[in-house]
Formats: sequence, structure tokens, C-alpha cells
Amino acid sequence: MTILIDGTSGITYPQGATQIVGAGPAFSAYASASQTVTTATQTKVAIDTENFDTNSNFDTTNYRFTPTVAGYYQVNGSLRGTGTTTFTSIAGYIYKNGSPSKRAQITASLTAGNNTSITVSDIIYMNGSTDYLELWGNINGTGTLTFTSANSTDQTSYFSACLLRGA
Amino acid sequence: MDIYQTILAIYPDLQDSDFETVISLRNDSDGRGDYIEKWDHPVHAEPTEEQLIQAGWTK
Repeated sequence: MTILIDGTSGITYPQGATQIVGAGPAFSAYASASQTVTTATQTKVAIDTENFDTNSNFDTTNYRFTPTVAGYYQVNGSLRGTGTTTFTSIAGYIYKNGSPSKRAQITASLTAGNNTSITVSDIIYMNGSTDYLELWGNINGTGTLTFTSANSTDQTSYFSACLLRGA
Repeated sequence: MDIYQTILAIYPDLQDSDFETVISLRNDSDGRGDYIEKWDHPVHAEPTEEQLIQAGWTK
């Protein structure tokens, strides 16, 4: 490992160096449009717009983060849901490699049309090659159920991650 | 009807808890719609797509 020190840039670490975060991957993205979902059905949240993606590791077509640097990542996801008739619970999941890995869930009997949000986060190890993460959600209720989105300056369903520590 | 309502129409005795344990419904947001990802119910057999459609599923 080489650490560069100069008078202009200061200290530059190699990307993903062991135990040094350096310029490891980080991304933040959000859902630009609301998404209608079926009750009791785990649905991938359509996170289609990036705030930033330092290493081009987030795929806005498959809504998937596949970091190319191995290590431990702080991962955060939040989604807001609403129902036109009844709304009884909402769950947010971080899927790793296509299966639920982390879940946060709340039970809430909401008045029709009101919103509630759920946030799920944890530190997750990624192998830097094949491992990938997605944000999924589930609403239980009746009527039209929706993961809602507001606009770029008031993001309500969003997903982010950054490298905390190298492998 | 959506897939959840259709399954309940076929098997009215199913409980919400079944959909958190032995049955898993999914939608990959890839345009292919909802589907049964897992069916481990100890009594009821997994309905076929034909059965679901006959029972009123609008895929």
C-alpha cells in the first residue's frame, strides 16, 4: 500500500485499502415517482434517481447497489407509504443478493390518505464483486397502496450506502 | 383482484401471518408483476397460475 502526501492534495489513501476508508464507494439515490403495490407483497422499491454515486456502483435500472470494493458498508433505506382505504402496517427490507437480510416493520392504523415512513439500516459486509443490495418494502392494507415520492428536494423513499471499513 | 385477494378467495382460512411465514408474495419491479416466491403451507397446495386466473386474478 502506498500513501501519497503532497502539499496540494494532502494525504491520499489507496481506494479500499485495508482498514482505511479513503475514497471508498458511496451513493445516495431516491424514487422519483410513486409506486403502486399489492398488499402483503414484498416489492422492490424503484430507486431510479441518484443524488451521487462516487464509484458508479448503483444501477438505476435494476435499483441495485453492487460495490466493487470489499468491506463493511453502512446501509440506509427509507420509504413512505399510504393507502386510500385502510393501512395497517409497513415494512422496509434491505435485500442482500435477492433475499431479505434486514427488516424494520411498524403496525399503524392510519386514516385513509395519511402517510407513514419506515427506515431500515445496518452495517453489512460486501465482497466487492458479486454481492448486491436492494431496498424492498411491503404494505398491508386495502384500497390503492402506494410507496410515495415527493420531489428531488423532499425525498421520501431513498436508499444510501458508504464504505465504513475495508475488508 | 390482486394476487393476495385471489389466494384468500381460494383458501379463505389463510391468515395474514401465513403471508409472513409460509407464503411469500413478491414483485421485482421489473414489469412482470406479482408472483408467489415461496409456498410452504403445510395443508394447502400452491395454486397454479391457471387456478389464480380462474379465481379472478388480474395479473
